[in-house]
Amino acid sequence: MFFKLDSFSLMGIEAIKVSVEIHISNGMPSFTIVGLPDKSINEARDRVKASIINSGFKFPMKKIIINLSPADLRKEGSFYDLPIALAIIALSGQVSSDLFNYSSFIGELSLDGLINPVRGILSMTQAAVQMKKNYFFVPKGNEDEAGLIKDIAIIGCADLAECIKILKNKEEVSKFVYKSHGSGNVCSNKHRVDFSEVKGQSRAKRAMEIAASGMHNILMIGPPGSGKSMLAERAVTIMPDLNYDESIEVTKIYNLVKRRKYELIIERPFRNPHHTISESGLIGGGIYPKPGEISLAHKGILFLDEFPEFSSRLSESLRQPIENKSIVITRNNVSYKFPCSFMLILAMNPCFCGYYGDKSKRCRCSKKEVEKYWRRISGPILDRIDMQITLPRLKEEDFLENVFVENSCTIKERVSKAFTIQNKRYLNDIINHNSEAGVCYINNWINQNQDLKKVVADFSKKSRLTARGMSSLIKISRTIADLENSDEITQNHFIEAFQYKILNNI
Amino acid sequence: MSNSEINLKILKLFFNFKIKPSDFINIYKRNKDIELTADYFSNKENKNLKLFDKDKYHSAQICKNFNSIIKYLYKNNVSVFNISQKEYPELLKEIYFPPPLLFCKGSSAIKNKNLKIAIVGTRNCSDYGKEVAAYLSRQLSKIGFTIVSGMAVGIDKIAHEEAIKESGGSIGVLGTGIDIEYPYESKHLYKEIIGNGSLITEFLPGTPPLKNNFPSRNRIISGISIGVIVIEAGEKSGAIITAKSAIRENREVFAVPGNIFSDKSKGCHNLIKTGAKLTESVDDILEELANYIKNPSYAKSINFNEMANNGSFKLNYSGDNIFKHELGKKENAAVNNNEGLKNFPDEDYAKVYNCLGYKEKSLEEIMVISGLGIKKVLQIISFFQLNNIAKEKNFNNFVRGN
Ligand SMILES: [Zn+2]
Repeated sequence: MFFKLDSFSLMGIEAIKVSVEIHISNGMPSFTIVGLPDKSINEARDRVKASIINSGFKFPMKKIIINLSPADLRKEGSFYDLPIALAIIALSGQVSSDLFNYSSFIGELSLDGLINPVRGILSMTQAAVQMKKNYFFVPKGNEDEAGLIKDIAIIGCADLAECIKILKNKEEVSKFVYKSHGSGNVCSNKHRVDFSEVKGQSRAKRAMEIAASGMHNILMIGPPGSGKSMLAERAVTIMPDLNYDESIEVTKIYNLVKRRKYELIIERPFRNPHHTISESGLIGGGIYPKPGEISLAHKGILFLDEFPEFSSRLSESLRQPIENKSIVITRNNVSYKFPCSFMLILAMNPCFCGYYGDKSKRCRCSKKEVEKYWRRISGPILDRIDMQITLPRLKEEDFLENVFVENSCTIKERVSKAFTIQNKRYLNDIINHNSEAGVCYINNWINQNQDLKKVVADFSKKSRLTARGMSSLIKISRTIADLENSDEITQNHFIEAFQYKILNNI
Repeated sequence: MSNSEINLKILKLFFNFKIKPSDFINIYKRNKDIELTADYFSNKENKNLKLFDKDKYHSAQICKNFNSIIKYLYKNNVSVFNISQKEYPELLKEIYFPPPLLFCKGSSAIKNKNLKIAIVGTRNCSDYGKEVAAYLSRQLSKIGFTIVSGMAVGIDKIAHEEAIKESGGSIGVLGTGIDIEYPYESKHLYKEIIGNGSLITEFLPGTPPLKNNFPSRNRIISGISIGVIVIEAGEKSGAIITAKSAIRENREVFAVPGNIFSDKSKGCHNLIKTGAKLTESVDDILEELANYIKNPSYAKSINFNEMANNGSFKLNYSGDNIFKHELGKKENAAVNNNEGLKNFPDEDYAKVYNCLGYKEKSLEEIMVISGLGIKKVLQIISFFQLNNIAKEKNFNNFVRGN
């Protein structure tokens, strides 16, 4: 006797189909799971057996073989408890339903038959849609999350008995289909923090606005107490909300790590790992690869405070993901791909003592020491930082200066407009933001305005900027122009961009 | 009568030693009419005026005759200004005894509206003195001052040499006739200074270097300047005399401190003890001169246009003018509007420029003072930085560039 149910396994953030195949034959009663299952699946045997019995069903005293196919796929977790239990109950003739063919199943069982939520449900739901399934049976605790995907009927089951009941009642199944509560209009700033709380630092704020608009990576150099982390933390509050697809993508990533509540993420993430973080914590890894901080910052901000404290190994490991906007981790010949398109904010002190560039206190470092300190961040990473700014220590009177304070919503509106312009520009391209623009775009922009072309040509002859530095100047100019809704980059835009290139000025 | 006729008349009076310049000034101060004064003395001359002693002040015996003087003046493009003329330095008119006539070679520096400041010091200065003289002269010139000094060797010479490299130029005040090149060591300077500056003297052509003439020369140095900077000076040096006449005429006195064991700094230190401004940097000078600089009629000279026009700011950027394009569009408006702004694409640049000084100003301060938003301020500051007009001194704080 043979029976088959569809379920899913996670590979990176993507879910792929796993068939739960069952064969029951007469013989010595046994219960085997094959298909390279991992240890937790072996443990599933006992859970499945106990929950079947405790839900009031019979566990057949026969020779049972479960195969999870494809066999060469490394599977993890306890996702298959529910399909395995259902398969056993169905094949032993305790329930029959047409729904089995049109449905997929996922869920972990506890000994008393309750179905516990699993992670990664969003990816699986998307996969279920792709497989053209009509129903997706998920743990009750996952139904809100699965319900984010609209093209499939989600059925949340609290326990095994309920699940069987629904399967039996084919005619009334629609009663059980999850209905979205509908998330009304979201308020404009859901964050606890606001840009208006940052006093003074007008240039840094302007720079942040530009950086956020074009997703330019930015380095902040300033003494402790200049408000670097304060600004970084607030940068997400001026970025436009994630659109639906982005939300789903970000949520999918987050659902691979433990979370308190599985719900759709609308806000752009802000991640600020400490410099003691491990490489796999930052980049992603583990035996069953999990996304690292860089992927958790996808579509949002990765903030690395005290960047010189990060080991060179760590900062070197960032290079590839920054370039590719994704990270591929290979385990046992299987590659897991996690997206990581983030805006990088780095912060550092200006020197060892922290007073370099301070108006009121003298820096005690020698010129050599300062240079040495700055060299810590030089190299491949710095090449990928479009903007660099300095922040002074704030004085009392700066705190009083309230005139130029704008709140996050106001700035967000401008940034959103710049996003829209970029969306239009890159509609037929794989990139989304000015910071990702390649040579073709840059040359086009320069050629649009003959005066600009001349200035750029003259300047690149004179300046110490590398070709990369030069093109990042143009990219910043492009974003400045977008913020003004200007089709062309003018000389003024280009000139302002120099404000954010201090590393070439010092 | 035209000014040149009047000048000829006065020149003749002095040449014949008929009148003392001090008498002439006394009468002039009373009636404020140069023609009347000249006529007054001419008439007196006719009435068999008694010859006064050959005044030490005007001993031009060496001159062959009056006609050869006139010939010399014409041939060498020497201008003669009397005290009533507008070319005659305004500040000099205010002193107790201004010279009735000034002989002037190379009139650019004397005619420009720059603030004049004197740099004086000893002839046999130390390396330290040389360094200070060059530094201060260069810095002050760059921001639009014209440097005044006495054409002597040492501090004077260095101050002149540095100043004529910049737009403001330099004024050399002579203690001899305009045709005498003294001392010999400064010979090349006599030629160079005329290219970007002026030589002036009150002495008649042919007047040789006479010991007694130099102190009265010093009162002109301080007289045409708003302040005198003494770099290295012994206790009884000529520089101290210049400083003292500056004090008498209510001009600012700046003294640069030196080594306490060096005789060359004794004079400076005495000045400081008696209240001269201890000067370590241009900032110290500007601080004292704040009132002059704020005064709009002077402020014009300390001005971006002068500085940029004359190329004292080397453009980092090789293109002739980064704003050429914009300039063309706005030219007309700018000319009608305000002559002083014609080099800026718009008046916001002037607003930001006027915020910049030698004291650091934060971006926020600049925004408040100029009334401009951060976007505009950053863009203008960036432009200034690229053209070395402004620089970031400490994080977020800007000063004028150099
Ligand atoms: Zn330091």
